[in-house]
Amino acid sequence: MKNLYKLLVAAFSFTLFTGLVSCNKETATTQTDVMNSMLTNKNWYLDYSITGNSTKSYVGQSTYFVTYLKDGTTKDSDGLTGTYTVEVVGNQSQLHVQLKTSNGNPLEVIYNIISVGETKLVLSKVVTTGTATQLYFTNK
Amino acid sequence: MGATRLFSNKFLLLFSILSFAASSLTAQTLTKKQQDSAYLLNPGQERLRKIKKSLAKKFVNFVGNDVSLFGNLVLSNQNINDKGVTAPINYLYNTVNSNTFNSGYSGGFRIDGIYKEKHRYALSFAVNRVAAGNNYKNKYSLSPFIDDFTHFKADNNFTTINVAAHYKKLLPVNAMNKYKFYAVVGPSFDYKISRISNEQLINGAGNRAIINGDLGAEFDNKGYYVLYAHYKLGVNMTSSSVPVQLNRFEIGMSIKAKDLF
Repeated sequence: MKNLYKLLVAAFSFTLFTGLVSCNKETATTQTDVMNSMLTNKNWYLDYSITGNSTKSYVGQSTYFVTYLKDGTTKDSDGLTGTYTVEVVGNQSQLHVQLKTSNGNPLEVIYNIISVGETKLVLSKVVTTGTATQLYFTNK
Repeated sequence: MGATRLFSNKFLLLFSILSFAASSLTAQTLTKKQQDSAYLLNPGQERLRKIKKSLAKKFVNFVGNDVSLFGNLVLSNQNINDKGVTAPINYLYNTVNSNTFNSGYSGGFRIDGIYKEKHRYALSFAVNRVAAGNNYKNKYSLSPFIDDFTHFKADNNFTTINVAAHYKKLLPVNAMNKYKFYAVVGPSFDYKISRISNEQLINGAGNRAIINGDLGAEFDNKGYYVLYAHYKLGVNMTSSSVPVQLNRFEIGMSIKAKDLF
């Protein structure tokens, strides 16, 4: 019986130790880490773009796609390359893309992330004037 | 002649074993230090003896404590309300929502006793491996693009340690001197010890502590073993942006430790 009690105490101590070692909490980057893991290393094909009441469908056409790589770089089917970061500004999750135009000038485009998942991505382009365009992507 | 030789051989073997044992015993003579410590009081042992004595005095009304080991099958389902999640993340509803009872397992030990020779109780400690089916309460859509999705994905495979205190009521069923049936009720507490995924931690949703209300029935077969079925309804112990209600059915058996060891 003495051995049994020793065994029980050992099992109890082990589980407590395991519990303490495996403790993890939410940090400032938890949300962006999850969004990044869903966003990266996939080709996102544009299915719809909606500006105000005007809806354009590209379903099945595979006309335009963009890729966000794990190393923080991005490229699209038009040949534009650049870097990107996922940020949470206030309560708004945003995708900041730094591009270079064909004549070599830097250009920053900011998208509000409406929704990101394993297979669906919805972005809204941030504009200073006019109506924002919402872009609906699928990962095929 | 052969019998005499066999007897003498056996005698020689026995003599050899005895002499070897005797030499081993003499080899275990205590050192001077051990001899001294045998006469002196060991402060650690003395303290332990005092603690045991004082505990026995304090818990004089808790008698007949039997330690049992148990193992059980756990069927689990969790209801998830993700209304508090603001992160713009989508999980397709049909891929994360199963709304079934999935099977896990648990094991541990329990102490069964009687308080003031009247009230039966069981205190238990267990390690649970929970595999839960998920029932998401809320569905969202972004037409025409995404039909049904959730903002949150709960971990459905996790490990907890569980501590329970149950009151056992003997039921007047059948021949009570042979078979005993008990109704069991009481609280229990679970603490998640496995790693919580980042997806579950978002927006302060990752709670580790669960408080349960337990209800069940137990069948004691002449003290040889106990078969039992428990239902546990658990909720987050502290407030969470994603309240989770954990439903569990446990079906298992316990055997007294002294019968096993």
